[in-house]
Amino acid sequence: MDHNNAENKKVFAVLAEFENPGKLMKAAKLVSRAGYAKFDAHSPFPIHGMDDAMGLKESKLGWIVLSHALVGFSGGLALQVWASTYAYPINIGGRPFMNLPAFVPVTFELTILLSAFAAVFGMLFLNNLPKHHNSIFNSDNFNRVTDDKFFICVETDDPLYNEEETEKFFQDCGCVSYEKVYE
Amino acid sequence: MAHTKLTDNVQLPDSANPSKLFITLGAVGVIASLIGVVVNYEQFLHSYLTSFTFFMSISLASMFLVMIHHITRSSWGITLRRIPETFSSYIWVFALLFIPILIGMGSLYGWTQEQSGWFYQELREYKSPYLNEPFFIIRNIIYFAVWSFLGYKLYKNSIEMDKTGDWGIDSTLRKISAPGIFFFGFTVSFASFDWIMSLRFDWFSTMFGVYYFAMSFQLVFAVLILMVLFLRNKGLLLNTIAKPHIRDLGGWLFAFSVFYTYIAFGQFFLIYYANIPEATLFFYYRLEGSYQYMLYFTLFGRFVIPFILLLNKPSKGNYKVLKFVSVLIVVSHIVELYWLIMPSLHDSFTFHWLDIATFFALAGIFFALFFTYFKKQNMVPINDPKLAESLNKH
Repeated sequence: MDHNNAENKKVFAVLAEFENPGKLMKAAKLVSRAGYAKFDAHSPFPIHGMDDAMGLKESKLGWIVLSHALVGFSGGLALQVWASTYAYPINIGGRPFMNLPAFVPVTFELTILLSAFAAVFGMLFLNNLPKHHNSIFNSDNFNRVTDDKFFICVETDDPLYNEEETEKFFQDCGCVSYEKVYE
Repeated sequence: MAHTKLTDNVQLPDSANPSKLFITLGAVGVIASLIGVVVNYEQFLHSYLTSFTFFMSISLASMFLVMIHHITRSSWGITLRRIPETFSSYIWVFALLFIPILIGMGSLYGWTQEQSGWFYQELREYKSPYLNEPFFIIRNIIYFAVWSFLGYKLYKNSIEMDKTGDWGIDSTLRKISAPGIFFFGFTVSFASFDWIMSLRFDWFSTMFGVYYFAMSFQLVFAVLILMVLFLRNKGLLLNTIAKPHIRDLGGWLFAFSVFYTYIAFGQFFLIYYANIPEATLFFYYRLEGSYQYMLYFTLFGRFVIPFILLLNKPSKGNYKVLKFVSVLIVVSHIVELYWLIMPSLHDSFTFHWLDIATFFALAGIFFALFFTYFKKQNMVPINDPKLAESLNKH
């Protein structure tokens, strides 16, 4: 199936290829400074400093995890306090019913359990995953992003996107190739 | 990339060298301690042991950090490696400073004395193959021989590389470190059994070695952060030990706050839950009366407050937060050692001026030696093969 031969299809994004990670990073800096919001950089491996270059904000994931951790912590503690002091108090070796050291393992485990769930599912949620299809894979050139190619894509939804200007902008950035990706 | 070459002055200037201050402090401390020997011998021994184990914590954990650094071929901490290297290079001096404890062990350790009551007599008899005076001395000679050798070798070879630029020394250092860690594990465990745990010979915890190590390894990152911030405050190594390195130290401090708590709580919890009388006695004395507040202080100072403050990523690189947490951990470490050692002498918290005097004496010696050695050599291993990588860290 030929993805690119579709005159009546909408352009989903533009894809600019760069020679190496250094140039990719410089370009990402320029794109982010130019004010593009819906853009992403793709490379076969993580590049140190890319987050700063793209002007990405600190992830919200930490807060999601923290809130779940607190729920796990207080929930685990409250459950045990309620069960062993009010609902079903048992005398265990003469220890007090409200026996905080003994409550630590369960409280800890519940804190970790909910944090781990929050981290995994929160990450999936923030990344819009699972996603069955992404139009960017319609570009044949893009297949080599997991091998040896470096790309920046700008989605056409971006308010700053303009067919000619964006192309000129990327040519100025020094991209090796430039293409439109159809939906 | 930012800077792959050393741009800072790597010599400690005279203006930033506080060794004179520490010599004065040490001299005052030593004189006061000597008076204390005459005035209150037992108090002196206990205070001295507390201070001694504090400074050994720094040296031993520094040595471990350097060794683990070599065998993992890490690059993140090359620029600050000379600080822990120097800390562990003069353990031989502390071997000499252990002599007062060897002399005083007759009044310090219960197992050296005749016991009254059949239980303690039999227990002492039962444990005598391990807990006897000649073997205690032999063991301590072995510990200090191993540590002095390792610490000196790691330091000397690193200095040699500074001078000759021979990168082959890097593999020599690895060859020392790998068996070094093996011997370190055994010697530190048994040393902590001998020094602190055997104060009460009716109590034992097989975790105690790990516990002392965990305490020390948490402490060493606090000490390193304070040392690096001291150097920065003097305007030294600003580009060499930069924010990425300090942030990593903050990360380590956070991680080992959790590790320490895991070990300390694990030890407590096993004993608490099993509820075997001879095992619980140790905590019985330490959870009653005024000693319990020291435990609460340690709990908050070493875990709760550092955990909350360092949980956030930006705060691991925030110098003010790091400084506060590090000071808190150093203080908590002293309090915790006091909490471990002093109940064998006093039934409740009793402050004595000798606690301060012995601490000043050893602090003076420890830091005067540190700054003297630190000044003699470069503050950074300038010819290390991974130095550029470390400088380039971000």
